[in-house]
Amino acid sequence: MTTASDPVPVDPRLLEILVCPVSKGRLTYDRERNELVSPQAGLAFPIRDGIPIMLPDEARQIG
Amino acid sequence: MSDNNAVPPPPPPVRDEAATADFGYRAVPRGDKKRMVREVFDSVAGKYDVMNDLMSLGVHRVWKRIFVGALGARPRLRLLDLAGGTGDISFGWLRAGGGAAILSDINHAMLEVGHKRAVERGLVSGLRFLVADAEKLPLPDRSVDRVSMAFGLRNCTDKDAVLAEARRVLVPGGRFLCLEFSRVQVAALSPVYDAWSFGVLPRLGRLVAGDSDSYQYLAESIRTFPDQETLAGMMRRAGFGHVAVRNLSGGIAAIHSGWRL
Repeated sequence: MTTASDPVPVDPRLLEILVCPVSKGRLTYDRERNELVSPQAGLAFPIRDGIPIMLPDEARQIG
Repeated sequence: MSDNNAVPPPPPPVRDEAATADFGYRAVPRGDKKRMVREVFDSVAGKYDVMNDLMSLGVHRVWKRIFVGALGARPRLRLLDLAGGTGDISFGWLRAGGGAAILSDINHAMLEVGHKRAVERGLVSGLRFLVADAEKLPLPDRSVDRVSMAFGLRNCTDKDAVLAEARRVLVPGGRFLCLEFSRVQVAALSPVYDAWSFGVLPRLGRLVAGDSDSYQYLAESIRTFPDQETLAGMMRRAGFGHVAVRNLSGGIAAIHSGWRL
């Protein structure tokens, strides 16, 4: 499920092709948080109104 | 081109190129340009289309139509529309029979306007919306057939990085096309154009958008952008082949195109 604050799901056709802008590696979709996670770069990219925000500056640092 | 009127001088040559980027005529810390440009477009997003019409007396529509024609839309081709903003190029591509388009911009506020306009035009199903930095694209190598950038490149800090990324994501045989303000090639046009862009433009910006600073930036950024030959050289260095330039309206704007071979 998507979170209540951001109910618009990201376009699955876009999800299929996106890669991490930093590592160019694969992304995983965290439905719970509505984020695109790049394990290699340690970044989680937010999705706002169904639009992925693929800016390293606006990504959340993870582990 | 003569510079004997009231036009502000071009930026002084003494500046640390590695540490600064041009922001109009000012040199700003390189790390700040992205944020400053974003603030300009946050400020103008809602009025962007109206302002473009006023500023160019509607001519930008003609330029964009020519640009879309140059993209050579076909149903199987995939387009990445960089700095696509409020959607004109992507919409033109889809109407010309192009395949799926990714409408990408670094600015969420601009894309929101683009999304709204796409809904109004019934074009949403052919579009994917993406906030991305053209210097660091979130797309795999060789994943699109056309990369377009209309009035976007001059706002980028590292233009060489943008060109390298555009080439990287193109399939071999794919093309990059850039529509941008350029250097006026017709001498008689220069004083008129200067008076227009530095005298009238910022005032129009203040009147219509309540923001003369942003439009002053836009006018200045046009003058600091590389001219036709310089940009063509940058594209060749980025690895593009068959680089070609087409002047529009006497060189006020130009279309640069290159192939990934």
